[in-house]
Amino acid sequence: MNNKNTKDPDQPLPKADRRKFLKGAATTAAALAISPTAKSQDPSAYNASYTAPSYQQMQRDAGMVTPPEPDARMVVRPGSDLMVQALKEMGIEFVSSNPGSSFEGIQESIANYGDPPNHMPEFITALHEESSVDMANGYAKSEGRPMVAMLHGTLGIQHASMSIFQAYHTGTPMLLLVGRDVGFIQAHTADDMAAMCRSFTKWDAQPTSLEECIDSLHEAYRQAVTPPTGPVMVVIDIELQKEEARDFQLPRFRPAVIEGIDTATARNIAQRLLNANNPRLETGPFRTPEGVESVVQLAELVGASTSTTATAASMGFPQRHPLCGPGADTNYDFILGLEAASADITLKRPIVNSLTAERDEMSVGFGSLRENYVPNPPGAEPTPMEDDQQANQGALLTIDAQASIPIIISELTRLITPVQQRVINERRARHASANREAFLTALAETVEEKKRGWDLSPVSTARLYAELWPLIMNEDWCLASPSNFSGGHHRQLWEHNKHYSFLGTQGAGGMGYGLGASVGAALAARSRGRFVVNVQCDGDLNYAPGALWTAAHHELPMLAVMHNNRAWHQEYMFVQYLAGVRGRGTERGHIGCVLRDPFIDYSKMAESYGVASEGPIEDPNLLAAALSRGVESVKDGKPYLIDVITQPR
Amino acid sequence: MRRVLIGTITFLLGSIAASMTHSQELGPVNGNAEAGAQLYYDHGCHGCHGYSGYGRQDLNNTGSPWLMNVEVFRAFLRSRANEAPILPSTSMPNYPQNSLSDEMVSDIYAYIRSVPDNRPETEDIPTLRKILEAAAQREFKK
Repeated sequence: MNNKNTKDPDQPLPKADRRKFLKGAATTAAALAISPTAKSQDPSAYNASYTAPSYQQMQRDAGMVTPPEPDARMVVRPGSDLMVQALKEMGIEFVSSNPGSSFEGIQESIANYGDPPNHMPEFITALHEESSVDMANGYAKSEGRPMVAMLHGTLGIQHASMSIFQAYHTGTPMLLLVGRDVGFIQAHTADDMAAMCRSFTKWDAQPTSLEECIDSLHEAYRQAVTPPTGPVMVVIDIELQKEEARDFQLPRFRPAVIEGIDTATARNIAQRLLNANNPRLETGPFRTPEGVESVVQLAELVGASTSTTATAASMGFPQRHPLCGPGADTNYDFILGLEAASADITLKRPIVNSLTAERDEMSVGFGSLRENYVPNPPGAEPTPMEDDQQANQGALLTIDAQASIPIIISELTRLITPVQQRVINERRARHASANREAFLTALAETVEEKKRGWDLSPVSTARLYAELWPLIMNEDWCLASPSNFSGGHHRQLWEHNKHYSFLGTQGAGGMGYGLGASVGAALAARSRGRFVVNVQCDGDLNYAPGALWTAAHHELPMLAVMHNNRAWHQEYMFVQYLAGVRGRGTERGHIGCVLRDPFIDYSKMAESYGVASEGPIEDPNLLAAALSRGVESVKDGKPYLIDVITQPR
Repeated sequence: MRRVLIGTITFLLGSIAASMTHSQELGPVNGNAEAGAQLYYDHGCHGCHGYSGYGRQDLNNTGSPWLMNVEVFRAFLRSRANEAPILPSTSMPNYPQNSLSDEMVSDIYAYIRSVPDNRPETEDIPTLRKILEAAAQREFKK
């Protein structure tokens, strides 16, 4: 990984030197001279050992200290105003955070700076840092751009670390701003704050001046959105937030320039697409919604059948587009992989297995382009499709596909002849007919399978997804929760035509993600006329249920439907299996894995957080009406939770 | 030696079971289905197979050769993958005698066999009918 820091992490400044350095900086010196907080701090705190907070520190933390009177040199243009202005100019919509004293400058600026204040970005109150980051994850997956999660020092980073880890695995772009207050409770600070999660963030910085801080914010955004995308962290000292900016001019934000392939390569690919009798596009997730629009344009231009990741992750190809599917002929003679590493027609996102450099290379690039392919002359018999293994041995160009597609389209438009256009039109029509047939046949087979246990109580997971679909099929919806533990039945039953139709899995398979990510997706949905569906696993909910309050407080359109199987059933099965292996019987496999004695009432839990709710529902015949009420609520902009007691899986 | 012996036996058993077809008649049921239901729950069968035989791995009406008669079912439970892989291997736990007696196995078998196939006809399920009709009528719009 290319961790690029504004200071050399191998040579950390000694505490005393660093302090002197900070004080030596002109701007910081000004801040120390005029900041009421800086003046009120006990200088001896700098030299205290890293032990328990002192009495004075705890007094301040508990609000038992009266702030000093502002003097005539009160800060009128605080550095944090400029930081917030920078976030505005980068288009940051939301900052999710659990409040912390180390970023009180930025928090105050969000609340009061700008016209209107608390807008672009809006402060979203989270009840746990893990939720803050999960929200940023759900938002970015939904919109293809980052928001900010703000964390309080060492404590906030550690609370958030699990969610950051998951975001790193999915390559989700997000800005993590960390407050640092050296003069306050020393256990809450560190010389190199980002070190504790550097192995699972893409980039970090700990600026030492206001100018450097603004540059760091700009660079952080560019790093986050540039492939390989991922979470980035900027640690911001409280002094920088509070210092007087005077006449410092905010530099203009320069967006990231993400380059695609060169023209010669694009022309080569375009020529191969045109020469092929049956070209195929294999698509993976794209960075932004524009990537999906581009690949649709490309598929239509060459009349290629296309795969999609829309049922498995965000940013794929529209599932019901006439070109999405196996097409009229699966004997493809040229396959172009666009963010997909496989030539197989299986709809599967590139898998991230480990925190190694290779994983980034797997996440981007042209996975299936065969380097030595020699196109047939026009009119020749199509080349038989190589098997998957051979197809996977094609050239891998590690470069952003989204930025490359418009260049290929440009070359195609230039090269295409009227004769080729006629052939393409005919092929497009054949694919459309075949794909429609294939979809409807698969759906009919799926329906036969999903109706097993249709009338059972507790409710089958298939029925839960099936009953939801007719209620939302004509609405603008986003399924933000993972579905790997609830059967994933939407993949076969629903139609995923938007880049946000389904936001995929947790990333690293960690629990606690579903609710926070759904709330984040609902942040994006709120102003865009859509709503979020969250099929919420009970085990997952209990990690950080406080995000329900965030949904209520900010009036977010999220319908949470509990997959309440009253256990961590995957682990139940693991323990049960091992007990069998050891020949000790399986009667006690449930110990530590079930959520019973007592059962948890999620309807009451939601109600206590201010979310309208109903349940528990065990009778499947009551489900549709409850879901209908839930959909009406979220269409009205109000979150809703329905507790459904379900079959285990 | 023991592993080899068990492996040989279970392989043969697996081969016999795998050669069975759906058309073969099911064996008799002698156990107590009511007691079997409780055992099915207590031993966590529902984790994978649902409370009533429908779940991640359906039991009901799947034509599984392991459910053809109680003898095959018992042998299947006794010699699971960890001890001597039966083909095809699964991630089912094994259930030795000290965990499930023969009588208990018979009761569980009786319970599984007692669960009906409750699939209604698709035309009798408005939800599924609507899903199929809407998909047939729908045209993609950008």
